[in-house]
Amino acid sequence: MTDKNKIALSVKNLKTFFYTNNRCNKAVNGVSFDVEKGKTLCIVGESGCGKSVTAATIMQLLPTLSRIEEGEIIFRKDDKTINIEKLEKNGKEMRNIRGSDIAMIFQDPMTALNPVYTVGFQISENLKYHTNLNRKEIREKSISLLNDMGIPLPEKRVDEYPHSYSGGMRQRAMIAMAMACNPKILIADEPTTALDVTIQAQIFELMEKLKEENDTAIILITHDMGVVAELADNVAVMYMGNIVEAGTADDVLRRPTHPYTKALLESVPVLGRGKNQDINPIKGSTPDPYNRPVGCQFAPRCNWQTESCDVMPEITQINKTHQIRCHKYEQFFEKYDEKRNS
Amino acid sequence: MTTYIAQRLIIFFPMLLVISFLVYSGLELSPGDAVSHMISPELASTITAEQLDAMREAYGLNQSFITRYWIWLTSMVQGDMGYSMAGGVAISEIMIKTVPATLELSMVALFFSTILGCSLGVISALKRGSGTDNSLTVAGMAGVSIPEFFFGLVAILLFAIELKWLPVGGRLMPHYETVWDRIPNIVLPSLVLALMMTAGAMRYARSSMLDVLAREFITTARSKGMPEWRVNILHGFRVALTPVVVLIGFRLPLLIGGSTIIEQVYQWPGIGSMFIRSVRASDYPLVMTISLMYVFVVLTASLIIDVLTALIDPRVRLGKE
Repeated sequence: MTDKNKIALSVKNLKTFFYTNNRCNKAVNGVSFDVEKGKTLCIVGESGCGKSVTAATIMQLLPTLSRIEEGEIIFRKDDKTINIEKLEKNGKEMRNIRGSDIAMIFQDPMTALNPVYTVGFQISENLKYHTNLNRKEIREKSISLLNDMGIPLPEKRVDEYPHSYSGGMRQRAMIAMAMACNPKILIADEPTTALDVTIQAQIFELMEKLKEENDTAIILITHDMGVVAELADNVAVMYMGNIVEAGTADDVLRRPTHPYTKALLESVPVLGRGKNQDINPIKGSTPDPYNRPVGCQFAPRCNWQTESCDVMPEITQINKTHQIRCHKYEQFFEKYDEKRNS
Repeated sequence: MTTYIAQRLIIFFPMLLVISFLVYSGLELSPGDAVSHMISPELASTITAEQLDAMREAYGLNQSFITRYWIWLTSMVQGDMGYSMAGGVAISEIMIKTVPATLELSMVALFFSTILGCSLGVISALKRGSGTDNSLTVAGMAGVSIPEFFFGLVAILLFAIELKWLPVGGRLMPHYETVWDRIPNIVLPSLVLALMMTAGAMRYARSSMLDVLAREFITTARSKGMPEWRVNILHGFRVALTPVVVLIGFRLPLLIGGSTIIEQVYQWPGIGSMFIRSVRASDYPLVMTISLMYVFVVLTASLIIDVLTALIDPRVRLGKE
C-alpha cells in the first residue's frame, strides 16, 4: 500500500468498549486505518458512530468507564514506533506525546478553553511542558503563534481571557495551542461545528496551511460532507463502531460503493438545485448500541439487504486504496465501471 | 472595581440606619422593658407602681419611642455606645472583653474548616464513587444535618466527663498563666464548630469540583499533556473555588458574631452568649450595639465576597466599566 515511512499513525483492529450499568457498548469495534504525513484523513459518520471515541482513544483521553479492549495504535516518531495503547493512561510517556507529538482541537471552543486563565497562559502551558524555552521565549512564541493564526494585536490579545474572544478567535487560539509544539498529528474533532460558515472556511484554510508547512498529519472528524469534499485526502466512513468504507477522497466521494456511504451522500442537499430537489434521508434510525443487529450493522436500514447480511462482512480491498465492508459491493462497483466504460 | 466598592460603601450607611431602626422597633414590640427584668420576682410584690415609674424615669424609659431612638442614634454616631442597663457597665468595656474571645474561637474554627473542607471535598470528587468518597459523603451529611448543640453536648459527655481529657467549658482556667494553658479550653468548642463548617464546605467543594471536572477544558488541559495534579488543581479546583469562596464568605460574620449556640453550650464568654443575655434582659443599648455590629460585618463580608469572586473569576466584572 502506501510507503511505510510516510505513515504517521496506524490503527489496527482497535476496539474500545464502554461499560455502564453492567452493559457493554462496543463504541469502537475493530477499526483500522493509517494516517499519512501531510495528509488529511476525514472520519465521517452519524452521531454516535464512534468517530469521537476513536479520536479520544488515540489520545488516551477516554472516560473512566471505558477501555481499549483490543488492537494497536502505532505511532511512528522519527525512526521509533510507539504502541500508544500500551502506555499508561496518564503516565509520563503518554503525557509527553499528548500536546507535543499528537495534539487535539475540540468541537466547542466556547467550553474548551479554561475561563479563568488568559489565552497566553493556556498556550504557554504547552510550551512549558514540552520545550526547553525560557519564560521570555515562551511568551514570544505564544504571541507569534497567535499572530500566525491571524489574531489581530496578538501582543495585547495574549493577555486577554477567553471570554473576550469571539467564537472563531477562540478556535484559532485553540489551534495555536495545539500547534504550539509542531505536532506530528493533529486530531480535530468537529472543529467547526460550533462556528458559522464564514469562520469555518477560515479555520479550514488555516489547517490546510499548517498541514502543508509542517507536514502535519490531520485526522478530521466531521459529519459535514461538504467539508470532506473540500479537505480530505483520505476518507473513512464509520457506522456503529466500524469503518464501512475507506479510501481516497476520490474513491469514496466519486465512487461511493457501500450502501451507507451512498445513502449518506444522497441525503445532502445540493446548493443550486433548488427547493424541490429530492433529498433521500436514510430510513430508520441508528440501532440501540446495546441491542445491535446481527451481522452487518447497516442491514436493517439498507435497501439491498439479503440473507447473507446476517453475517458481518469482512473488509474487502476493491482496488489499491479503496476498501469496503459489504457483501454485495460487487454489484454496486460494477455499475461505476459500466458508467465509466460507456 | 473601585467605583463598585465606592457605590457599595455609599449604600452601607443608609442600610445601617434602616436596620438599626427596625431592630429598635422590634425591641419596643417585645413585652416588658429593662426595668421589669431588673426586679427579681420575689421583690415584685413589694414594689409600688410609683417606684417603678421613678425607675423608668431615671433610665429615660418614659420618653416616647422616637425620642429614645433619636437619643440613642445621636450618641451612637458620636461614638458613645452607652451603658448596659442590666449591669451598668460601659458597653465598650463589654465589647473589649467579649470580641477577642469570639474572634479567637471563630478564627480557629473557620481556618481549619476551610482548609479541611476544601481538601476533603476535592479528594472526594477525585475519588468519586470510591469507599473514601462514600464514607466522606455519609460523614458530610451527618455533619450538616446533626444540630451543633447536640454534637457539642456529646463531645462534652465523651471528652470532658467520661475521658476527662478536656475541660467542660469556659475560656480561661483559674491557674491560667501562658497561652498554652488556654489551648485545652478552646479545643472542644472550636472542634465542634469546625466540624459542622467542614461538613458544609466539603459538600460544596465536592459538588463544585465534580461539576468542573466534567467540563471540556479539563479534557483540553489533559490533551496538552499536563500532569494530573495540574489538571485537577490548577484547571479544576481554581474554577471550582468560586462557589466555595462565597460559602466561606458568608461565614465571615461568624468571626464577630460568634456562634451563639456553641458559645452557650461551652459557656464561652463571647459575643454570642452576651447577645442572648442582653436580649433576655431587654438591654436596649447592648442589643442595639451587638446587632449593628452583626449588620456591619454581614455587609462587609458580602462586599469582600464580591471582590474576591471578581478576582478569582475574570468573567465577573463588578459594576459598569
